[in-house]
Amino acid sequence: MKVPPLNPGASSGVRSHRARKELLTPLGLPAEMPPDWQTVALRKLEELCRQRRSLQLSLDLCVRCGACADKCQFFLGTGDPNNMPVARAELLRKVYRRYFTTSGKLAGRLAAGEDLTEQVLEQWYTYFYQCSECRRCAVFCPFGIDTAEITAAAREVMASVGVATKYVTEVVKKAHEIGNNMGIPEAAWRDSCQFLEEEMKEETGADIRIPVNQEGAEVLLVPPSADLFANTDTMIGYAKLLHAAGVSWTTSTYASEAGNFGMFLSYEHTQKVNKRLVDAARQLKVKRLVIGECGHAWRAAQAFMDTMNGPLDFLESPRPEHICEFAVRVIRRGGLRLNKAANDGRTVTYHDPCNLARAGGLMEEPREVLRAVVNDFREMPADTIRERTFCCGAGGGMLADELMDVRMKGAKPRVDAFRASGANYLATPCAICKAQLPVAFEHYGVTAQVGGVMDLLGKAIVV
Amino acid sequence: MTSLLPALVYASAAVFLVGMGWRLAAWLRAPVPLNIVLTPGPATAAGVTRRLGGEALLFRSLFGADRWLWVAAWVFHISLVLLAVGHVAGLVVPELARASLGLTEDQFHQLAEVTGGVFGVLAVVPLLCLLLRRLTMERLRYISTFSDYFALALLLLVIATGDQMRFMGALDLARARQFVSGLLSFHPVAPPSDTAFVAHLLLVCALLAYIPFSKLVHLGGLLLSPTLNQRNNAREHRHVGPWDRLQAGGSPISSQGPRA
Repeated sequence: MKVPPLNPGASSGVRSHRARKELLTPLGLPAEMPPDWQTVALRKLEELCRQRRSLQLSLDLCVRCGACADKCQFFLGTGDPNNMPVARAELLRKVYRRYFTTSGKLAGRLAAGEDLTEQVLEQWYTYFYQCSECRRCAVFCPFGIDTAEITAAAREVMASVGVATKYVTEVVKKAHEIGNNMGIPEAAWRDSCQFLEEEMKEETGADIRIPVNQEGAEVLLVPPSADLFANTDTMIGYAKLLHAAGVSWTTSTYASEAGNFGMFLSYEHTQKVNKRLVDAARQLKVKRLVIGECGHAWRAAQAFMDTMNGPLDFLESPRPEHICEFAVRVIRRGGLRLNKAANDGRTVTYHDPCNLARAGGLMEEPREVLRAVVNDFREMPADTIRERTFCCGAGGGMLADELMDVRMKGAKPRVDAFRASGANYLATPCAICKAQLPVAFEHYGVTAQVGGVMDLLGKAIVV
Repeated sequence: MTSLLPALVYASAAVFLVGMGWRLAAWLRAPVPLNIVLTPGPATAAGVTRRLGGEALLFRSLFGADRWLWVAAWVFHISLVLLAVGHVAGLVVPELARASLGLTEDQFHQLAEVTGGVFGVLAVVPLLCLLLRRLTMERLRYISTFSDYFALALLLLVIATGDQMRFMGALDLARARQFVSGLLSFHPVAPPSDTAFVAHLLLVCALLAYIPFSKLVHLGGLLLSPTLNQRNNAREHRHVGPWDRLQAGGSPISSQGPRA
């Protein structure tokens, strides 16, 4: 990977739109910055340090060895030194040192401490929203320091004084009020499901259903809501898989979103968004909760759900289950008739979504599904896949139009690796990657298709 | 001056111990609300031990990040540990060390000469490389703070004064041993009058006192890192957070923090 020369301030002008009162107030955040915002913010930072060992260690242990510096796609793409993970973390660390460490209190700037000023807050707002919380840097850190923990804390501190992005708060508000990120109401959800059922009938002649709010079904499938509108082939893939597996299943209009943008705002909102899934599963009396193709959804579900809203012992283990795990189980027991030739003409490679690889440990199952359904599967270069995967460039609440410049630059390492693979189809189980990468492909003049793992499975399933 | 030395040693050792204890206590007091293990990660305790061992002893992640940085860092740290072991063997328990190795006085002395010399050099060279790296690489210059250079300089001086005694000095070893055992039995005696020895000792005192207040605390925190020491078993074992889950009715938790 070619490391760019430093270009200070290169992406300092690329900033998310700020959330205003009408988004902040419903989320319980201050409508505007309070006059004593410094005190409030510092109190919040202190509180978070006290509550999270990971944060305190991340702030204390870094030796600035620079191992992470050239590992971040946003630094590689922009050359902006503040996008080096170590430098990004220092933006918070310098304030932490100034107010909460002995050396910083005594020696101030000499101990690399800095006052929390409006300029510093502006820097935070810019660069902690140019981090997709993808954890790639953490893989290379000798102390396991995770910039995602630092970014999350910084965002939470900012939110405590009413500084948040329009994009993230808008999505979280929709998730709380309507149940999904796209803001799809129940009637439209039902319509779309019906529409896709008709489409499948036309294609296969079979009655493949996408049930809604079916009490007593065995499986509750929670997809990212984008699958019902933007990535309909993924939705069709789920439906065919569950139909062919002979499992009774349902979607829920209360929990119609697997994604959890609360993670990009604060712990509280993560928990609250997450709770809808647990409540829906309980209400519908299902035995299994299956999560669709969404990277950070998988982290929220597999790593956080039981802690935040558990115990989940009313569900069968593994709780919850990923759709790729489910597919692998069915494929292994010979439960599907598959026609690989249906995907001929596609040279397929697999892009590991960051949260699946580095926070969910799900790397083999999607590959196993792909090998079962395509004849030509190949990997991208080894230092760009599995736990070393590059973020698509839009995760962590960065999929906003106004961040396009940084998004495209951040996508470059992934696009280059895709080119090197010689594939013409990029399969990835993540709605954000699926929204971002086609734009990036167009930007860099790559002619290739982006789709889900379930898309290809759906095409290969013989009903 | 020399009569103050024992007091200084005690003071800096106390600062080190209390300081590290205080830092460790702060880290351990902070709860780990969620399972945030970096995956793929081990699901068993044995696996976690292997992972932490790999990080602490072999710097596994750093190896994957930057091979040359790894060489410098690993050689330096291993040399430092071996030098510390050598100091204990040669100054604190020389008889025990000699006898258990089955060596004569002369052989033991020669062994000390060779190992001390080799690792004395092996500790300095990577430090110089790390310093050079910080000074010449654009990225490193950008992220380096005064304290980064200070720590390197301090370590360089500590080892350089040690090396000076090893290669150029005429240290009265018997007096040095008396001094050390005096310190350890809390009946301090006068140190050897060798300037390099006094300088070396003063620098070590400064280093000890500096560690808890600087990035050098990293020696105590690695094993506590949740991203590395947690098990990848969130779905099999419920990780119980320090505070309650959402209250009935869906109102978010208060941010009161962990309960006692």
